[in-house]
Amino acid sequence: MRALVIDDSRAMRRIVASILEGFGYETRPAGHGREALDVLEEGWVPDLACIDWNMPVMDGLQFVSAVRANPAWRSVTLMMVTTESEHGQIVKALAAGAHEYVIKPFTADAIGDKLALLGLLPTGVPA
Amino acid sequence: MSAPITHLLDGETVTAVAGEVWSALVGEEEFLVPGHDGPVVLGPSAWVTVTGPWNGLVVLTCDEAGTADLTRSVLQMRADEEVTAEDVDDVLRELANILGGNVKSLLPGPSALGLPETGVAPLRAADVDTCRVAASWRGHDLAITIQGATEAPVFTTTEVPQ
Amino acid sequence: MTTALATPGFDWVCQLVRRESAIVLAPGKEYLVEARLMPLARQMGLAGVAELVDRVRSRPDPATNRRIVEALTTNETSWFRDGDPFTTLTSTVVPALQAARRPNEQINIWSAACSSGQEAYTIGMLLADALPGAAGRVRITATDLSRDMVARTRAGRFSQLEVNRGLPAPMLVRHFTRVGTEWEIAPALRQMVTASELNLAGPFPRLGPFDVVYLRNVLIYFDPPTKREVLRKVRQVMRPDGWLFLGAAETTLGVDDTWERVPCGRGSAYRPTKGN
Repeated sequence: MRALVIDDSRAMRRIVASILEGFGYETRPAGHGREALDVLEEGWVPDLACIDWNMPVMDGLQFVSAVRANPAWRSVTLMMVTTESEHGQIVKALAAGAHEYVIKPFTADAIGDKLALLGLLPTGVPA
Repeated sequence: MSAPITHLLDGETVTAVAGEVWSALVGEEEFLVPGHDGPVVLGPSAWVTVTGPWNGLVVLTCDEAGTADLTRSVLQMRADEEVTAEDVDDVLRELANILGGNVKSLLPGPSALGLPETGVAPLRAADVDTCRVAASWRGHDLAITIQGATEAPVFTTTEVPQ
Repeated sequence: MTTALATPGFDWVCQLVRRESAIVLAPGKEYLVEARLMPLARQMGLAGVAELVDRVRSRPDPATNRRIVEALTTNETSWFRDGDPFTTLTSTVVPALQAARRPNEQINIWSAACSSGQEAYTIGMLLADALPGAAGRVRITATDLSRDMVARTRAGRFSQLEVNRGLPAPMLVRHFTRVGTEWEIAPALRQMVTASELNLAGPFPRLGPFDVVYLRNVLIYFDPPTKREVLRKVRQVMRPDGWLFLGAAETTLGVDDTWERVPCGRGSAYRPTKGN
C-alpha cells in the first residue's frame, strides 16, 4: 500500500507518515497540492492521499478537485487531515470529492479507524 | 448591541482545545497545567490570522527552553538528535495552526484561516488581549492569546444541517 | 512525591472491582489501575493512587468505591468499532426483521455496556438510513454500569477527538451539529435512545423483549460462571428469533450452548436455539 502525505508542515508530514508506516504503508511527502500533483503525474499513484487544507501554492481543496477531474486517478482514496473543522467546511470537502475527513488534532488510533472504514488497512495488521 | 466575543472565546474553552492538542500531538501523557498570571511570557511565538465576520489572531508563545522540548516531543526525536531552528519554527507554526483552526470553528459564520507565521516576540495587535490563557508544560511557561475585536460579530446563520 | 501502588493496595482494588462489577483485573494490570485512578486521586486532592486506596480503606465510602469501579470498567469506544456487527445489521438483520414483523411493529435493540453512547448512536444512524420510518418504530435501550457514561449517552455530545474515532465523515455531517467545541447528535436520533444504569452481573430489571442485542467486549472481563449467567439472562430478554452480537474475541461456544452461531461477514452473530 502506498500513501502520499500532503502538508506544508514537516512536523505533520512526519507524524502522519510514521502512523501510516506503522500500518505497513510506503509513504511519500509533498509540501503542497502542486507538489503532490507532480508526484501523481510522474506515475506514482498511491492508494491513499492524506491532505491538509491550508497550504501555500495549491491548497488541499484545489488538489482534491484536480485529482477527481482526472479519471486515471480514480483509484486514489482522498482523506482530508486538517484543522478546518466547521460543519460547512467538511460538507465542502466531501462535495469536492474527498472520501474521508480527519480533524486535527487526532490520535494514531483515529487514522487506524478511518483506514479500517475505508478498507485500507493492509491485511495482517490488527485494527 | 453585540455580545462580547469572550462569550464565544473564553479561557475555559481555549484551555479545553489546547488540552486536546497537547494530548494528541505532544503526547498521550502530556498535560497543560494552569500557569501563573504574571508578566507576559517572552519567547518565540507563532500565530495565525482569522478573517471573516470577526478578525483577529491566535498566538502561541513559549519560553525559549520550552520550544526545544516541545519540538522534541512533537517530532518524537531521539535524545541524540539535534533540534534545528527550522524544526522549532515548523512545530510552533503547526501548533498555532491547529489551535487557530479550532478557535475559528467556534466563531459564527464562515471565516478563513491564514497560513501560520513565526516571530521572536509576542505580537501585540491590540492593547488588551481578547482572551489569554497562561499555561505550564513540564515547567515551561507558555501562553495562548487571542487578539482582535472584543465585540462578537452579528451573524445569522442560514445553514440548516440535514 | 507520590508512592507507587503496592501489591496489597492493588489486590484490594481488584477485589472491590470484582465484587461490584464481576470484572476480573488480571495481575500485572497495576499500570492500568494507576493510569485510570490518577485523575480521581487528583480530584480528591490526594498525591497519588496509593494515597487514594489508603484513604478509602481506612475510611470506607461507597461513593468513592463506586467512582473507582467506574474509572476501571469503562473503555474507550470508537463508532464503527469492528465494522462487521454493523454491516450485518443492515445487510442481514434488518431485511429479516422486515420480513418477520408487521410493517409498523416496534423494533427493540439493546446496546449493553454502551459506554459514552457511540454504539447506540451508530445503530440509530444506520437504521435511520436503512429502515423506512425508523424514527417512529426503533427503540434503542443503552445501558452501562457507569452513571457518568449513562449521562454522557443521554447528552449525545462528543468531543472532536471522539468524532474522529471511526465515524464516517458523511454520517458526521448528516447527523451532527457543532455546539461550541463539541458535536451533538440530531434530536431525532437522541429520541430513539433511552439510557439507564445497569449492572450486567446483577439481576436485570424489566427489559425487552429485544430483537437485537449488542453485548460487545464486556464478557471478556467476566469469569466463566458469570459469563454463563449473563448470557442466560440476556436470552430471557430476547425474542426467540433475535440476534446477539458479541465482541470479536468473544463467543458463546463452550460457555452457554443454548445459542446457535451464524457466520456473518468475517464475524458471527448468535441466535437462541429452539426449545431453550
